[in-house]
Amino acid sequence: MATPMRPAGFLVGRLTRKAVAAPVPAERGGATALLKAWLPAIVILALLLALPGIVPSYIQSLVTKMMIFALFGVSMNILWGYGGIPTFGHAAYFGFGGYVCGILIIQAGISNFWVNLLLVIVFTALLGAGLGIPAFRVYGVGASDNPIYFLLVTLAFGELLVRVAISARALTGGSTGLAGIPYPDLGIPGITINSHSFYFLVLGILTVCLILVYRLVNSHYGYALRGIHDNERRMQALGYNTWLYKYTSYIIAGAFGGVAGCLFAYFGGVMVPGNMGMAMTDIVFLIVILGSASVYFGPVIGAVAVVGIEYLASVYVPDRWPLIMGTIIVIAIMVIPKGVGVLLLDLWRRVFRGSAA
Amino acid sequence: MSTFIITTLNGVSYAFILFLLAAGFSLTFGVMGVLNLAHGALFVLGAYFGLAVVSQLDTLWLGIVVAAAGTGLVGLGIYYFFLRHLYGKIPEQAVLTIGLGYAFANIILWVWGPFAKMGMTPSAFTGVVRVGTLAFPIYRLVIIGIGLLVLVVLWWMQDRTRVGAIIRAGMDNKEMTRSLGINYGVVSTLVFLFGAALAGFAGIMGTPILGAYPSMGDGLLLLTLMVVVVGGTGFIQGTMLGALVIGLLDTFGKTYVPSVALFTSYAIFVAVLLVRPSGLIGRKVF
Repeated sequence: MATPMRPAGFLVGRLTRKAVAAPVPAERGGATALLKAWLPAIVILALLLALPGIVPSYIQSLVTKMMIFALFGVSMNILWGYGGIPTFGHAAYFGFGGYVCGILIIQAGISNFWVNLLLVIVFTALLGAGLGIPAFRVYGVGASDNPIYFLLVTLAFGELLVRVAISARALTGGSTGLAGIPYPDLGIPGITINSHSFYFLVLGILTVCLILVYRLVNSHYGYALRGIHDNERRMQALGYNTWLYKYTSYIIAGAFGGVAGCLFAYFGGVMVPGNMGMAMTDIVFLIVILGSASVYFGPVIGAVAVVGIEYLASVYVPDRWPLIMGTIIVIAIMVIPKGVGVLLLDLWRRVFRGSAA
Repeated sequence: MSTFIITTLNGVSYAFILFLLAAGFSLTFGVMGVLNLAHGALFVLGAYFGLAVVSQLDTLWLGIVVAAAGTGLVGLGIYYFFLRHLYGKIPEQAVLTIGLGYAFANIILWVWGPFAKMGMTPSAFTGVVRVGTLAFPIYRLVIIGIGLLVLVVLWWMQDRTRVGAIIRAGMDNKEMTRSLGINYGVVSTLVFLFGAALAGFAGIMGTPILGAYPSMGDGLLLLTLMVVVVGGTGFIQGTMLGALVIGLLDTFGKTYVPSVALFTSYAIFVAVLLVRPSGLIGRKVF
């Protein structure tokens, strides 16, 4: 994965998906330049580490949820932002990961967190491998501008899984959901996870996953994916097996989505069939579009905004969340189609002209 | 044998409800290439609009008119303010209209409350038809009749009228249609309005059988997608075929193999998408 094609900067990635300029190789030995580029990420990480000491526990729990949805959004953006693949069933992997985790704990009695996480990754990857074959048969070639049947088939897969979860009552608890998922057991003596320490676990996993996905999308593989987004037929002419790239990116994105779902199951303690359906997919799409699909950190910003607004709505206008969500979607798509991330990045560049990126 | 006949009749009448539900969507999706995933919510909105009028004024005809006109106007708003500006951006259209669908469901919940409403069958159509030992509700026959009427009207419009010719021309080549001096923008706005009004009409007609509750739009939308995709897009005949396939499969499945009935229609949906994404009859959009 390590290639010389890695542009400098962690927060300040590429501005747009279009027009891949020759990637700037990271300056070897330019330690200060490297530090400067990474500084925002390090500052944010430090703030997040210090946060539980500053804010009340309900804010800490809110930030935990934001981090889980940030991972969910980033996993979705591998497909939509980089590959240009408009999957409308990404929530299926989120919910499926959560269900695998819950079923392993409650039905199979496997409580070790690491074993569960590994199995969640394996099972969601298998699901992606299984559903990906028919889905990409429908997708065709060069379908970036013709994704309608892929969109419908992935939407149907998600809803199909919702129906399976509702009817397989013995395993999943039916339509009322699978309740009573405890906080994870890390299997390390002396460390017990509660709502307080769960925050740090999520932060750790999010950090690892963000670095992994960053390495992925800025690797040779990631650039091939962007090339497919821009012009799949040209990539084929260059000798790329584009189907394989799309298919594997679908599996990888699904697995990261599954990890997010697994954390969400621990976070809420309950999994309901709706977590795999259309509403959840729409929320993650909103997170990506609002935050900017073309900026690596966009979905993180989107997740903070959407989860934050959802929390405020639940406090001040309970029961009106779908209406508010619809309004945010309208604003995000009609008013700021580029997303908040691009706006923030422009602002950043204006303030630190020439010093970053 | 009598079970078989009754199941067939139930299946056919269900198929015609599905046809009414999907016809408007098929028109806007298959013909204009605009994806309106708020279609299920529009159906529910039509049902509630109609029921509000019927319960206050006790006139079914006015209820039908209000249901169709009300949802037609809502659809016009969706098209004029949003979808018109998102031409060709299918994922954005989908995200936006799914969101609008949930917003509408929430408004319905806000205004009319969470409890399911049962549409009143008009008194002229209550009761059953008896043939020998078989009994069949009149209203289901009425639905079949109305469905057939709508099918014939739409078919006639598609093949025999100027509007139909313009739409078919636009389907093949928008720029060429425009250059012939046809105001395609106005035509497509009207088609969208008509499609939404059809959803409202289907909503008020379907309530005596399906009932109405705020969150039913999701399930209806999936049924719509299945009907349109299985049948094939672009032609009204395809929608009818899809409605018959899904309606009969679902009804027979529930009667004879209830344990897997939940999945029979999904299975055929996925199978059709894989083998013939353009549907049993019909053409690929774009």
